[in-house]
Amino acid sequence: MKKQLVLVLLLVLIASVTVTAQEPPLQGGTFRYGTTVNPRGMFNPILYTEQYDAYVIEVVYDGLIEIDAKLQPQPKVAKAWEISGDGLEITFYLHEGIKFHDGVELTAKDVAYTYMTILHPDYTGVRFSTFNMLKGAKEYKEGTADTVPGIEIIDDYTIKFSTERPHAPLLSSFGYGILPSHLLAHIPVAELETAAFNLSPIGSGPFKFVEFLTDQHVTLAANEDYFFGRPNIDTLVYQKVSQDTIPIFLQQNRIDFIEIPPDQFAQVSELDHIDTYIYEALSYSYLAFNLRQERFSDVAVRQAITYGFDRQLYVDVIREGFGIVANAPMPTASWAYTDEGIDPYHYDPKQASDMLAAAGWTPGSDGTLQKDGEKLEFEFLVPDGSRLTEQMALLFQQNMEDIGIKVDLMFMEFSAAVDRVDAREFDTFTMSWSLSVDPDPYGIWHSTSLWNDPGYNNPESDRLIEEGRLETDLQKRKEIYGEWQRVINHDLPSMFLNYGVTIGALNERVKGFDPDPGPYGPLVGRRLLSKIWLAD
Amino acid sequence: MWRYVFRRILLQGVPVLLGFTFLLYLIITIAPGSPVTHLRGVPDLDTAVIAQREAQLGVDQPFLVQYGQWLLRVMRGDLGLSFDSARRPVLELIKERIPATIILSLSSIILGWGIGIPVGILSARYQYSAFDYLITFFAFIGISIPSFFFGLILLYIFALNLNVLPAGGFFMAGEPHTFLGYIRYLLLPALTLGLGSIASVARYMRSSLLEVLNEDYLRTARSKGLQESIVVYKHALRNALLPILTLMGFMLPTIFSGAVIVENIFTWPGLGSLAIQALNERNYPVIMGINLMFAVLIFLGSIIADISYAFADPRIRYE
Repeated sequence: MKKQLVLVLLLVLIASVTVTAQEPPLQGGTFRYGTTVNPRGMFNPILYTEQYDAYVIEVVYDGLIEIDAKLQPQPKVAKAWEISGDGLEITFYLHEGIKFHDGVELTAKDVAYTYMTILHPDYTGVRFSTFNMLKGAKEYKEGTADTVPGIEIIDDYTIKFSTERPHAPLLSSFGYGILPSHLLAHIPVAELETAAFNLSPIGSGPFKFVEFLTDQHVTLAANEDYFFGRPNIDTLVYQKVSQDTIPIFLQQNRIDFIEIPPDQFAQVSELDHIDTYIYEALSYSYLAFNLRQERFSDVAVRQAITYGFDRQLYVDVIREGFGIVANAPMPTASWAYTDEGIDPYHYDPKQASDMLAAAGWTPGSDGTLQKDGEKLEFEFLVPDGSRLTEQMALLFQQNMEDIGIKVDLMFMEFSAAVDRVDAREFDTFTMSWSLSVDPDPYGIWHSTSLWNDPGYNNPESDRLIEEGRLETDLQKRKEIYGEWQRVINHDLPSMFLNYGVTIGALNERVKGFDPDPGPYGPLVGRRLLSKIWLAD
Repeated sequence: MWRYVFRRILLQGVPVLLGFTFLLYLIITIAPGSPVTHLRGVPDLDTAVIAQREAQLGVDQPFLVQYGQWLLRVMRGDLGLSFDSARRPVLELIKERIPATIILSLSSIILGWGIGIPVGILSARYQYSAFDYLITFFAFIGISIPSFFFGLILLYIFALNLNVLPAGGFFMAGEPHTFLGYIRYLLLPALTLGLGSIASVARYMRSSLLEVLNEDYLRTARSKGLQESIVVYKHALRNALLPILTLMGFMLPTIFSGAVIVENIFTWPGLGSLAIQALNERNYPVIMGINLMFAVLIFLGSIIADISYAFADPRIRYE
């Protein structure tokens, strides 16, 4: 019912937007973008780690490419690129005449500086592994070579990146903002993270940085000389808002856009001048099994537990419909998502009990299943802080009890829970992943990966993950990931709970956004901030 | 008097602060969780990067080494660099936010004492009157209601329903900084934070004054024909204020820790959100810096309370 309502609402919105889209855009005004967390003040695209710094970075800098609403790379600073037949070389052709905010022209030298710094031995950030497949990157990082043969400046407006082996996820990694080398090259790389530049950034993007007032707001001004056309609005403000007061900030017109939590949806939808948008996010929640334990190493036990948990009820009631039941770690928002051949594991406690019985688990005197004298009882580690997660855990405990499994809930502060997970001292735990644009699951699911917490090790899965990295043809790659999803959907190293959805609340005075939003929402990940305009 | 202040700082303050920081550092390092936990969000990471980060932050060292290094830096007036990605100096992070926290705390103290003391006096003078019962009733509500809840109620009434006050925050970008503006933004958070102080100051003032009013010398004063108002305001009040001054010293920590919560509700740009974020992230230098600063402020507050004794009570002299 709720979903239908939302759909109708969405259709009404789309209709109203298409009508108004005919008006010519107005110039001027201040657009206020609400955020619940303050940026750190690391406005440097290769050093930041927090999403809230990225808010500023994304509009101050431009990258070689940008990612569109369908998660595909599109030209930006690079007007075009060329991938060699063997998939080993990417050559970017840069626009001529793009200027940094201080008037200096952006050239291939700046691109080289940006990516060379990430590979530098003294680099303090976390992006090295994204580019470590570039030719000679490892030798340079270890200090045994002075140059990186994999980064080659052809001329001022042409730069070539090359790898030893094809690496399909590489192209969409070139969205990092390009740094002005003339302002930074003289600073030793080890000292870059404390450079004053990071607090007063200069890029080539649509907005110029004006000021950062701690815990209040970040102000940016339209870049009059922006290569791709001056933004319609004059001023862009990222306004900090305490989560509890979001609806009041919206009501008082103190912010124009913000992402809201599901429990504020009802209140915010009642505001006449605010429209809400619901879009699928690149994220999923899961319950991880510790496959190092004998009971969980049996796939029948993992499947039975999944059959025994009413995930649809969890999404419909606890999450109030804001989510999609997940059966593999590939969100619906990703181009690699498939439901073909994917077992939905519909809630079926009878099936669950039968499977456990077939696997040799029999009810003991207290009703709990046991096998060889060992009870089917385990601890469920739940990081606290989210009401939805806590309620999910209670439902899970109750559902498991119905099929003879005893679950001991262990609520724990997030950082402490991570400690236990890192030490592999858990039976089961729940967390969620936010994914990057490229669907490559290597970092989380390859048997050798650091974040493979369940300890999943299936040679078939590894083979498909590796193949997916080597295949540069999008359609073929999609098929490989489809196959991989079927493998992991059968193995269930984790029980997948739900794919995330995001809710955006937008003031109706804002025009020129994307009425059919992809995972990045109506402002398409802030990319549209240079195109939107204000009606009043 | 200056000798007294000097002695208190040197003989009492320094050892207390040393012991306090030692214990605090010990507790935050043995607590589970690590300062590099946030790297979990980065897929494709390898262990070398995590180890490198730990070495950079110095958290791979044993506790005593970490604490010793921190202490040496503090003695040179350097609180170190924050552990988060921006690596900004802790002193700078605190300096940017402390004015807002102090403004908020001071306003709530002024509200607490400015309202609490007169209300307490009236309550004592008209003991067992309807006014007294009303005040007692509200004082108990004020003491028992949690500040975050009271804050939300105020927001609900004044910002959401009546729409006469902003829903928290500070001046919007481009909004001129006027005196009236300050009041508008300050009113609700200061009232929320001050509510507990108003209530408890009123209660303390009432019982303290009642106690004094029953003393023999006041009966003497009355019997020699002095007006009741002179008896109360000239003779009783000064003596009754003494315990309230002690209370001020005690209430400072409550006000600072209350500020942390109230600031988060009202998007007030003080130390609150920094403190909570730092705790969640195990950002040792920031946790240490903020707590050290609060400890110093509270210590100074207790000295000021002691000195103000001497002003209220001529019998007390610090030599």
